Amino acid sequence: MSYAYLFKYIIIGDTGVGKSCLLLQFTDKRFQPVHDLTIGVEFGARMITIDNKPIKLQIWDTAGQESFRSITRSYYRGAAGALLVYDITRRETFNHLANWLEDARQHANANMTIMLIGNKCDLSHRRAVSTEEGEQFAKEHGLVFMEASAKTAQNVEEAFISTAATIYKKIQDGVFDVSNESYGIKVGYGGIPGPSGGRDGTSSQAGGCCS
Amino acid sequence: MEKKRANDEFEPGPILPSQSVDRFEFIKQEQNSSEGLSTSRSANEHEREERRIRKWRKIIGVGGSDWKQYVRRKPHVVKKLIRKGIPDCLRGLVWQLISGSRDLLLMNPGVYEQLVIYETSASELDIIRDISRTFPSHVFFQQRHGPGQRSLYNVLKAYSVYDRDVGYVQGMGFLAGLLLLYMSEEDAFWLLVALLKGAVHAPMEGLYLAGLPLVQQYLFQFEQLVKEHSPKLGQHFSEEMINPSMYASQWFITLFSYSFPFPLALRIWDVFLFEGVKVVFKVGLALLKFCHDDLIKLPFEKLIHALRNFPEDAMNPDTLLPLAFSVKVSKRLEELQQEYEKRNGGTLPKAGSTNRLLQAIKHKELSIKPERSNCVQKDDPSPRILH
Repeated sequence: MSYAYLFKYIIIGDTGVGKSCLLLQFTDKRFQPVHDLTIGVEFGARMITIDNKPIKLQIWDTAGQESFRSITRSYYRGAAGALLVYDITRRETFNHLANWLEDARQHANANMTIMLIGNKCDLSHRRAVSTEEGEQFAKEHGLVFMEASAKTAQNVEEAFISTAATIYKKIQDGVFDVSNESYGIKVGYGGIPGPSGGRDGTSSQAGGCCS
Repeated sequence: MEKKRANDEFEPGPILPSQSVDRFEFIKQEQNSSEGLSTSRSANEHEREERRIRKWRKIIGVGGSDWKQYVRRKPHVVKKLIRKGIPDCLRGLVWQLISGSRDLLLMNPGVYEQLVIYETSASELDIIRDISRTFPSHVFFQQRHGPGQRSLYNVLKAYSVYDRDVGYVQGMGFLAGLLLLYMSEEDAFWLLVALLKGAVHAPMEGLYLAGLPLVQQYLFQFEQLVKEHSPKLGQHFSEEMINPSMYASQWFITLFSYSFPFPLALRIWDVFLFEGVKVVFKVGLALLKFCHDDLIKLPFEKLIHALRNFPEDAMNPDTLLPLAFSVKVSKRLEELQQEYEKRNGGTLPKAGSTNRLLQAIKHKELSIKPERSNCVQKDDPSPRILH
């Protein structure tokens, strides 16, 4: 399928916060309470529409355990967007956000759009991090923030799509040189041609986000 | 490979009698799924299998008593036999014999029990969190706090105490889980030790040490081997910016126990335990060779999908393994390891360092004296297991 733009994402955050479930809810519209844990990386893709333009999202879902960072780090490079996820019922996953941000800032391009997601908001009776704290953290670090639930699908579409809208706006504002694929953006058919000219995205010649 | 999916309507709890399981007790996703191995066998095949088991029993001797001598006398016969597959009913025992774990167990009586009962591990919560995400579609591990989950927890906890440098790393659970289907907790623990500490082959603890250094090395070696064995495909991968970390990390981290069909994973493990990790490379290369003509046509997204969802005929051990055995990698693997070490300026532990291993165990024995501050109270005899 042809697209105007292709954006590459990465999903990061502590183990067990629901990264794979968010991706599955977004790509397949289903929730899987019992599933194998993620070893290394997983991949998902979906088309969305922004400003009447078809946009392809290619998403890398990463293993959350510290040991795996040596592998997942290379996926920051060439990502246009990141979903940084914590679990509102587990305080420590919120406390580790600063580490994740530092990792992202170190290994990603400076213009990567980061969306902070407080997942599992359906479990409000077990809440350990208030919405205000999430908002506050996002504000301090210049992130977009949402609470979401991969289980009920609340805000899942919105999280992925509003990240894309932010990236799209940055393109319009000329923040990116879209011909440079290291930003995690590719121009397809119907996109704004970069210096290399508009390209046909039908062959989906999208590159990986690491080398 | 796509991750194994459990039924959406699955509820943890006692197993329903209506659930249909395959020969290896994985819950079937579809009632009518064909799986080849579970279909009723002909009388002829049955008899052949019986003969094979009798032959194996004779070689092994009572409780494994004749095994070592036979391997010394006829290593090539053993290699050939193992490549044909170890009979399922003898698999657990043979795995312990060929991995060297049986010797470790005999040399260290009581150590496992001490590790499980008297020590606490910093990884306990991490392990518990992952237990229900390890083989969730297998009846043994499915039941919440059931015997399968408890054994898995105990083995992983014991290892995380035994080797605090490694602790618990995601992926180890699949190794332990696979082993637990064929042997007791204690046996599974020592086999894990034998593998990671290198009782027979080079130690593999680098798979789980900080930064996963051995995984990085294997991925480097594999990428080069793909280029050499399937140059056109290697070129295509480069053009599509596909690298092995995207599809093969799981192969190495879990040694194919994570997402491969069980009948294939077991046959790979038979050979892996006897011949070492090179078979993992061989199988990986064979898979790419088998699917070469399809893969070479695919663009990025479809490639990623194909590399995680190999067709059923590629997953047939009797098709894939002969192809894998025909791939020669030993010499290049060594050269590439040296090249990798030169580039990264460091070496990982070398092969067969039994002395080092024994020292490690001695050291551990010293470290698990009951008076340590982090033990459970002496008058509390209950194992620290899942509640």
